[in-house]
Amino acid sequence: MKQNLIKPPVEIRYLEQLAFLKACDAENKKPENWKLSPRAVRMFILGGTAVRPDTKEKMQIQKKFFGNDALVERCIITLAGNRGLMLVGEPGTAKTMLSELLSAAICGRSTNTVQGTAGTTEDMIKYSWNYALLLSKGPCRDALVPAPLLIGMEEGIFARFEEITRTPAEIQDSLISVMSDQILNIPELGDDGFVFAKPGFNIIGTANTRDKGVNEMSGALKRRFNFETVSPVRDVRLEKEIILKEACDLAKNGAIDCEIDTDVAELLAVTYHELREGITSEGTMIEKPAAVMSTAEAVAVYFQTICQAWYYGNGRVELPVLTENLLGAVCKENRDDLEKLKSYFHTAVKAKSTKFGGIWQEYYKTASFLK
Amino acid sequence: MLDNHLNFINLEKNPVILFPVRHHSPVCSYHLRRLIRDYQPEIILIEGPENANALIPTLTDEKTQLPAAIYYFYKDKKKYVSEDAEDYHCYYPFLYASPEYQAMQQAKKLQIPAKFIDLPYSEILIHTRAAKGLRTEQDQHNYADDSYLVRSRFYERLCEKTNLRNFEEFWEKYFEIAGLRLSTPEFWHQMYTYCSLTRQSTPEEELKADGCLAREQHMAYRIQETMQDYRKILVVTGGFHTPGLEKLLNLKIKPVKLHKFSEDIQNCYPIAYSYEAADALRGYASGMMHPGFYDGISCDLEKLENQDSDNLTIYRSHALELIAKTAKESTKKDIMLSIADMTSAFSLTENLASLRNSPEPGIFEVYDGVTGAFIKGEKTLASSLPLDLLEKIATGSGIGHIGGTSHVPPLITDFENQCRKFRIKASTAVPQECEISLFTSEKDLEKSRFFHRMQFLQTEFCKRLKGADLHRNKDRNRVRELWRYCRNPQTDAVLVDHTTDGATLETACHCVAVRQIRINRRCDVVAGICVDCFLMGIALSEQDYQLIEEILTNDGDFFSLGQGLYYFDMLCQLRDLYHFTDPGNFKYLEQCYSKLIALLPSMSAVQPEQAEDCVKICKLLYSISERILSSRQEEFKSALITLTQRQQKEAAVYGAVMGLLYAMDGSYLEQAESAMQGYLNGSAGLRKQGALYLRGLFETARDIALTDRKFLCMADELLSGMDYPDFMEILPSLRLAFRYFTPFEIQQIAGEIAKLHEMQSGEDLLEVQGIDEELVLFGSELDTEICRILRKNNRDNRSN
Repeated sequence: MKQNLIKPPVEIRYLEQLAFLKACDAENKKPENWKLSPRAVRMFILGGTAVRPDTKEKMQIQKKFFGNDALVERCIITLAGNRGLMLVGEPGTAKTMLSELLSAAICGRSTNTVQGTAGTTEDMIKYSWNYALLLSKGPCRDALVPAPLLIGMEEGIFARFEEITRTPAEIQDSLISVMSDQILNIPELGDDGFVFAKPGFNIIGTANTRDKGVNEMSGALKRRFNFETVSPVRDVRLEKEIILKEACDLAKNGAIDCEIDTDVAELLAVTYHELREGITSEGTMIEKPAAVMSTAEAVAVYFQTICQAWYYGNGRVELPVLTENLLGAVCKENRDDLEKLKSYFHTAVKAKSTKFGGIWQEYYKTASFLK
Repeated sequence: MLDNHLNFINLEKNPVILFPVRHHSPVCSYHLRRLIRDYQPEIILIEGPENANALIPTLTDEKTQLPAAIYYFYKDKKKYVSEDAEDYHCYYPFLYASPEYQAMQQAKKLQIPAKFIDLPYSEILIHTRAAKGLRTEQDQHNYADDSYLVRSRFYERLCEKTNLRNFEEFWEKYFEIAGLRLSTPEFWHQMYTYCSLTRQSTPEEELKADGCLAREQHMAYRIQETMQDYRKILVVTGGFHTPGLEKLLNLKIKPVKLHKFSEDIQNCYPIAYSYEAADALRGYASGMMHPGFYDGISCDLEKLENQDSDNLTIYRSHALELIAKTAKESTKKDIMLSIADMTSAFSLTENLASLRNSPEPGIFEVYDGVTGAFIKGEKTLASSLPLDLLEKIATGSGIGHIGGTSHVPPLITDFENQCRKFRIKASTAVPQECEISLFTSEKDLEKSRFFHRMQFLQTEFCKRLKGADLHRNKDRNRVRELWRYCRNPQTDAVLVDHTTDGATLETACHCVAVRQIRINRRCDVVAGICVDCFLMGIALSEQDYQLIEEILTNDGDFFSLGQGLYYFDMLCQLRDLYHFTDPGNFKYLEQCYSKLIALLPSMSAVQPEQAEDCVKICKLLYSISERILSSRQEEFKSALITLTQRQQKEAAVYGAVMGLLYAMDGSYLEQAESAMQGYLNGSAGLRKQGALYLRGLFETARDIALTDRKFLCMADELLSGMDYPDFMEILPSLRLAFRYFTPFEIQQIAGEIAKLHEMQSGEDLLEVQGIDEELVLFGSELDTEICRILRKNNRDNRSN
């Protein structure tokens, strides 16, 4: 099944790990309806060595979220309480991934999701009707089509609400009563229309800080969430590791057996890091592009380069191709970004090519591809 | 390996117990108290420069309140430390949580001696290489330096391994919190192991460069010396030294050669210290972060010990208290937080501790709880205010007090007495503001003088925010002063530094002022110091008068004397208002006046860039000759005439002098006109100087342009006859020349010029339309409204 999916859900991708952690977790305390204890959830996301108490069998769990371990711990504890969790941050900082990991580890399901858009309606969040059944049987449970919120309440699992601030404010506010009273009233069903949330129900929202002000959340809704700001990875070494890990996973899923070049990953990590921070490691100030310079974007650039090497080349990553892909990723919306990228090459990359030579020298030679 | 060390904690057999501590650690203090109770030592030896032994009774005095510190200074006049012969100073702070303080306190309780055993401060410096240890370049040096413990390579690996963010979190979890659940021998072993491993990862060369090895040699020598007289000795040192001392004690140690210094070269004093200064977050590398929080815990631990109560929930209750205080302070700053938010924060704090396998939540869990529950929306600088407030509360804002007066420098006692007299809060590190109505009561004036004295001594105690600035001649019309003040360790340290200058603030300021006068032998600087003395209410002595007179006599700089004249004139004018008369000021004024008159003729050919200052001095001389020294007006006039007779004359100065002569005697109008005519009839270069002449003239006698039509004609002729480039060149001077006229007068002059060119006055003049008053008012209202809306939006955002 795994091989037939472009992006398998987390609970399928890490099925073995989750099962193993569950087997190790018998003695740990866990909130009602949680599949794993908070400690096991932590290990699933932040990595470690899991040991089965009965057989003493060990499994190495790899780290899946990098950058801020304390944030992950806060998220887990928040979800065990009576407040929702709202992950905010720049695009590409792995908010969605963290939300999926938490849902998969705690509820065993990461797909109970509402994707927020300008066209999201209350029906898509709470419930809608099967109109054929509605006409034939009238309002009854059979005719009800539950949406993620209702599913979450009935099953005692999380409802994930992606990009909540892209949804109109009045639709966002429909969550308030559910989060306050843990009850959803379906008036059409009369006395049977009260759905009480089961233990384990909670909401994980994500919001992009670049959408700030589009549909600002109301104060009342904000009060019902604990907020966690997910920041970009500040450590170049860590960013390089993420690029390598994610690109390897993507290549594996796509059956691409291409050699992974760690030097190129480092080069890309440094480029993204310096352009995002607006300063080079040598202390030279550079202009930040308007485009999102996230780690996710860097992974996409690297993976794209591997694909090209696999399908069109000799399987080795070519720097001119990397630069072209970088150009495509950086210069999306604003023409000025091209000039900023060129300037980065002619100052920072040039300086590094003189200082370090080697791959940086080759990288600098590709500056002519920036057109 | 540890078993071999068990005998160190074997309370029955051992004559010496080495107890490793981290400075300002509550858990170390807790176990130290228990050890002292069980071991009942005959003497306690403490790591600390031994030249402060006499201060121990003062530090443990009942009236002494912590934070306090020992302030050490050493003046390297004999160049033992380096060729630069610099002055050195450092602090040795004590909090209630400091094991060293607890050791002294317990020794007092048991009525046994307590002694410092480290090298004197000067010797530590002598044994430290340049740019190492206490000789690094930083604002504040602290003797109690734990940097080895917190910066070693070893701890970095530990943090990685234990998934903790930094050393402080590691220390809190495994030592402060977990340590309370260990027996004293178990805790000793844990500390010893950690310190030994840290020491192993520090190169010997580094220890030598920092003076660490020399210090340990001296401490070991002192311990061996004590062993001859006492049977049960307890040694309290920084944990890093314990393995080193243990090794040395098995050897026969030679003493480190000590130099002898007099008290004015090397000494130490107890001073009040602050929690803020003791916070590792503010650059005090040797301290712990959040000293206020840990000090509170330490005090409560001691209380619980005395009540024989369980201390296993102490961190939990302090965490709750901290969250509640943060919520309260946040609400004061318009961040709306409910009981539900506080509950959520505390629940997060507790559950995080449980997730992290910690028996109780510590300060880092409190930070996490506040981050999760109090920050609504994206975490930015603005929205992180609750975290800032938390940090402030956890740091603490208290200032200590030195109880016993025997070792307190008299200057600090005087400072504290004055603070009490004027009801100035000197026991908080929170900045305070004080408004003084200068001329309503004598007491307010005295208070202002007190602040000026503290400012003059550069104690960093206070800063004037508003008020008349006599030095810069700004805001002279203000009758109130607004001061911001805050006592900090620097204040006490500077006062200690001035101990040799006098026993009271008044005498110290007087001494410093005289010293500065001796160093800066210029009239302007000396007059500036006299202004300081005036503001501080400090009268100079006969000897000082002679010194100043001598300086004035020897100063031949016209401009320095001019500035001095300005200051002395001002002081003479303000003496009644400030109720302060220094008879010297009038004498100096006269002396400056005489010297300036003598020098005035030589100013005829002053450099163009100095012309404006020269004109100002001439005007001041004229003003003084009119107001105060009318009897000497003739002398001044004669000097002016001499100047006009000089061959080379700077045009602006010449113009100003002619203006002054005209003001004194109307008959000089003709001479002023003919001078102008001279410029008109001269070469192109000379004509350009005509503008400068006009500038000088109008500065001292602007009415000449309004009363004498001839002058206007000549000015018109000057401008009409000029080429465009020349006109552009002199335009700036012309603009300056006409700045002395009011708009109405300029209108009048323009009318006259228009008539010269056969235009109808009034209507043909180019005029810039003035801005309507209504429009200005509307703009102002608009500004206010925008500010109000922005403030409201900001508040709403925070509340959301």
